Amino acid sequence: MNKNGFTILELLISIALISVVLLLLLRVMMQLEVINHDTSYASDDEIARTELIQNIETDFLDLHLNGLTINRNGEETVITFMMDEEKELVVSSKEVIYDNEVYPLKSTNASYDLCLEYKYQNLENDYYLVMFTIPVLIDGVNTTSNDDLTFTYLGLKNEFTSYPVSYAC
Amino acid sequence: MKKGFALLETIIVITFVTVSLLLLYGTFTSMIDNSRKNLLYDDAANVYKMYFLKEYLELNQLDQYMNRNIVSLSCDDFQFASCSSIMDDFQIDHLYLVKYGLKDYDESTYSSSFNRYITSLSNKEGYDYILVGEFLVDGEYQYASIGVMH
Repeated sequence: MNKNGFTILELLISIALISVVLLLLLRVMMQLEVINHDTSYASDDEIARTELIQNIETDFLDLHLNGLTINRNGEETVITFMMDEEKELVVSSKEVIYDNEVYPLKSTNASYDLCLEYKYQNLENDYYLVMFTIPVLIDGVNTTSNDDLTFTYLGLKNEFTSYPVSYAC
Repeated sequence: MKKGFALLETIIVITFVTVSLLLLYGTFTSMIDNSRKNLLYDDAANVYKMYFLKEYLELNQLDQYMNRNIVSLSCDDFQFASCSSIMDDFQIDHLYLVKYGLKDYDESTYSSSFNRYITSLSNKEGYDYILVGEFLVDGEYQYASIGVMH
């Protein structure tokens, strides 16, 4: 064997082995990319989403949600919650403001859909269920409802209870 | 004197690099599994749905089912007409009442995703049962639960 450097055979075998390793690495990277694209939502936004849902639902329970209104003002959708203390949720394409606190979307390809999904339903024994969702669009498309801001309230009707029966954007 | 790598040396180095990359891959995939678990378990919106559902089911004799380790509940068990529409709105596919802190049960009766969720529960609070919701969202099972007192 030539001890002064590579023989052509050694070089060929080395290149073949390196190619196999690189192909494996490429496959791993492509899998990671697919997983990343599936979630496609920065963890900062996920934390902010959880915080926002918790803050609003806590207020619904502590301040007794009794009604709401939904208004579209140009590039904003404003939801006013009638509770012991009236509060507003202002939705624009890149941020949500609730109780003067701003929750911006940090993912560059994500935006809020200003067309809310809303449902009100009368239940037995004077109870009612209200649900509304602010869809999150990734590159303009609502690919998964995991990122959406969904709020729920189930309450007992009283003389002041006032909700829209339906909402069309 | 040798002036370059021998084939054997090159192969050893490549083997080391391959093993390192495989270890890295293992670490990455377990991290990704954990983060997916965070996405699928106890999502804030689902937890509040479970809270309101529990409140409503308690008005409809939920406590009469607290007599076995795991009870699979359906709308047939409750005497209110809106049950099915609530389940649909909440995207709940199955509802279970599980004895708090339950570890030993016949896992073969339930789905593997349900079993994984039950084993992931911390059981640090003191409840009698937990109401577990199996949500079917975008073709994927998600889980959320809420404690129930007898």
